[in-house]
Amino acid sequence: MAQIKSVLRDLLDDVLGLADSYAVTLKHLFRKPITEQYPEYKRLFAERTRGRIILTRDPHGEERCVACYLCSAVCPTDCISIEGAERKDGRRYPLWFRINFARCIYCGLCEEACPTLAIQLTPDFEFSKYGVLDFIYEKEDLLVDHQGKNAEYDYYRHAGVSVEGDKGEHINEKPPVDVKSNLP
Amino acid sequence: MPRLVIDDLEIEVPKGTKVIDAAERLGIMIPRFCYHEALGAVGACRMCAVKFIEGPLKGVQMSCMIDAQDGMVVSTTDQEAVDFRKRVIEWLMINHPHDCPVCDEGGQCLLQDETVSSGHGRRRYPGRKRTYRNQYLGPFIAHEMNRCIHCYRCSRYYQEFSGYRDLGPLQIGNRVYFGRFKEGRLESPFSGNLVDICPTGVYTDIPARFKVRRWDLQRAPSVCINCPLGCNTIGNSHYRAVMRVEARMNPYVNGYFLCDEGRFGFSYTNGGADHAQRPWNSRISGADVTVEAALAESASKIAEISAIYGPGAVVALGSTRNSLETQSMLSRLCRRKGWQGPVWFNDPAIYRKVRSGVERLDSGIAVSMREIEFADFVIVAGADLLNEAPMAAMAIRQASRKNATIIVVDPRPISLPFEFRHIPAAPAQIERCLGSLVKGSISKDELKGFDSSAKGFCKALPAKFEEKESGISISELSGQLMSAKRPVIVCGTGIVCESTPAFAADCAQLLRESGKKAGLFYILPGASSFSSALLSGPETKTFSEILPQIEEGLIKALIATESDPFWDFPDRERLDRALSMLDLLVVIDYLPTETVKRATVFHPSSTVFEMNSTFVNQEGRVQHAERVHVGGVPIWGAHPPRIIRNFVPGGDHQPAWELLWKISAETSMLESVLTLGELIAAEIPVFEAVGHSKYPITEGRIIPENSEGSFVKPKASPAKGQTAKGFNLLLTDTIFASREPSAYADTLASVFPEATLFMHSGDANGAGLSEGDMVSVELELGAIQLKLSVSQRMARGFLFLPRQRGIHWQKMKEFSAWIAPERIRKI
Repeated sequence: MAQIKSVLRDLLDDVLGLADSYAVTLKHLFRKPITEQYPEYKRLFAERTRGRIILTRDPHGEERCVACYLCSAVCPTDCISIEGAERKDGRRYPLWFRINFARCIYCGLCEEACPTLAIQLTPDFEFSKYGVLDFIYEKEDLLVDHQGKNAEYDYYRHAGVSVEGDKGEHINEKPPVDVKSNLP
Repeated sequence: MPRLVIDDLEIEVPKGTKVIDAAERLGIMIPRFCYHEALGAVGACRMCAVKFIEGPLKGVQMSCMIDAQDGMVVSTTDQEAVDFRKRVIEWLMINHPHDCPVCDEGGQCLLQDETVSSGHGRRRYPGRKRTYRNQYLGPFIAHEMNRCIHCYRCSRYYQEFSGYRDLGPLQIGNRVYFGRFKEGRLESPFSGNLVDICPTGVYTDIPARFKVRRWDLQRAPSVCINCPLGCNTIGNSHYRAVMRVEARMNPYVNGYFLCDEGRFGFSYTNGGADHAQRPWNSRISGADVTVEAALAESASKIAEISAIYGPGAVVALGSTRNSLETQSMLSRLCRRKGWQGPVWFNDPAIYRKVRSGVERLDSGIAVSMREIEFADFVIVAGADLLNEAPMAAMAIRQASRKNATIIVVDPRPISLPFEFRHIPAAPAQIERCLGSLVKGSISKDELKGFDSSAKGFCKALPAKFEEKESGISISELSGQLMSAKRPVIVCGTGIVCESTPAFAADCAQLLRESGKKAGLFYILPGASSFSSALLSGPETKTFSEILPQIEEGLIKALIATESDPFWDFPDRERLDRALSMLDLLVVIDYLPTETVKRATVFHPSSTVFEMNSTFVNQEGRVQHAERVHVGGVPIWGAHPPRIIRNFVPGGDHQPAWELLWKISAETSMLESVLTLGELIAAEIPVFEAVGHSKYPITEGRIIPENSEGSFVKPKASPAKGQTAKGFNLLLTDTIFASREPSAYADTLASVFPEATLFMHSGDANGAGLSEGDMVSVELELGAIQLKLSVSQRMARGFLFLPRQRGIHWQKMKEFSAWIAPERIRKI
């Protein structure tokens, strides 16, 4: 008797299991689909998404990057290489700036380290090439002509070097000391 | 010897040691900005505060201002001290411009480190920041005063330590400014040390400006090979280029500092800013070939010439910028292959002076620069220190600060950054002057105690030397020398007479016999003059003696190893003619020399930054320079190409000794049982004697026992005064522009001194010339035009012509010239 009971219970379980999954399928027949038809439809990502890297410009349209080497120092895959140089007006800038995207893991540490908000990760993730060398992006490929995130930030307005404004003209600065005057 | 406890560790230190130094001995680095071992303590920055818990003092005190005393118990980690230091950092940062990303000090900045370690990270002060305007300080040093924290290290170094007055503090209180009264190039040839000494980024170096961060640099201990002193450096390389050279602390040689020539004269190794100035590839008759092809060509041609004309038709030229390894290899090959040489020097007089000097040096009498700093009487005989060996002038400056008497006996218009008595004696009179000075200092009682040879030497010394023009009384100076305890004689080997180096040694020896701890310090002509002298014998020839053999056609092949006869041999026309008669000119070098341009076969060799090498400085100190980087054409300056390749462009260079061994077609080094250390020891016995058969050779002093008998009787000096009317034209060295390899560095090109002829003002008046005139001097092979500088403080009847790049002094036929008055014309 006990044996028959257990066989019947198993049978009932199986039938219920089948019915349950059919019910789920049936329910989804009447739902709105959540699959996005990529690449016909392209979803909008959040601004903070970590995809292809760009170099942005400051509000005056100048390169934000000052070639401080912090991004290349922090990069865990060593995919950034730079050489700094001095422009005639004293502004520090990268003579060349190279990112090897074949190595990049999009961790975003470079963006975190950047003191001038020059290097930024964008939501662009579509990144496949036929040749490995095509993944090597130079400054011309990286530099964009907008500010990216934090549009109003201008590093040289804060730093006390005489680029973008003379000494004493930056944010929170007193006029320069006159070393040849004894007046207080 | 006080005993004290610092952070629960007990230490016993010599009396007078500051607490901050006592802590450093225990490995505890107390934060500091203004304190520096070489500069002493001023207590300006308040950063080294520690808590004194027990002992004669209590509470928070500055550890750099307090001598260690018995019973002190000090805590560097006490909360009160930590908070104090944190507040100090916070107020030092109040005016900081927050420009670390564009500051070259970032990554090697003491202020950055101390700020991070103190925990200060957020600005609480709402007020505005103080600002300053910057100054132009010359082509080496960039100035950014906003970053200053007023530690006074720069002015203390610049004015007190190095003895120049043009940079210092201006203004008072919160507005103190460090700079020059008027913008302009810093006068000091030691200005580069400001970069090392500044704890923040006020002074940064311009050659490496914005190019690199400290963490990206490949660093290795190296040695400066521009002058004989062998100052210790750190080579810094990045992207296959040497970016900067820093001083490496060696208490016996250069201390913490370097001269600007050593610090900034490195760009020859990068081939200049465009990397094109260095010959990177092997060449046969001017066409680039592979390393193997060039080596095979050299080897077969040399073998051919040896077979036809005999091995004596091959001459090996070395130089005084060869490493010890290269010199030993040259010496070995010449012996084994029967080649003539090695030839180290061009000028036979210089060679004899170097050799006689080195022979007379022994370990008792030779002094290091450190010992010069503690001398109480320094006689500089025939050496223009600032131009010939700048850091030696810095060492004497330290002696001068300790009230030593400094006498310079030299015919040139010497300038030095300290007070000194200048006796502008003619070269032939230097011995007379030195001798009478020394003789005057020997008392009669001392004379009695001497042995016969010393007595004879002393008696033969000239009793009187009169210098009318300088108005210096030799007898008064002799009196001072008599009471001196640690006198040092610094003797040059440039313009002095051939007997002077040995004479100076005798004088030093005599001073030793009279109970003083006298020392002797030679200024030799090149980085490895000392070892070339060790490797020479009486039969060693100089290039001047080899040249007639080339002209006669007896010599068919020349192997020039890092040697450029065009650099310091006069009579260019003759040299040109002679070299064109050779069948084979094999050149091994890293500089774009004139000889390289004429080479039949050229092999690129490694610079001191690209190989492990050993150099022996002029006091016999063996020093090892490690390889800083592999080398090759630097990447910086232009976009790196997107090419994948399995070789380094410009990476063909090899150490000169290796190239020599390969072109000699010598059997394998291993078969002939030689490692580098054994090779050196086999060639220079003194290395074996001190057990230096391993490689790299242990650093230390090697001076062979003085085999020469001392006290050569001085010859009677020629009578004073020239009979014939005219001037004796002598060649001198000048800082930045006279020495290989630094004169090839384009970083120094902008500071090359102007081409100037030096003349006594009396002579100039007689000739109707005055200061600043452009003159034309007719030499044997043509005229040269240059500026005239007149001085009262030099010997009459002499003209001094700097042997510098850009002056065609090779129009002279000999190493000195006699110039009749009509051959100098104003133009």
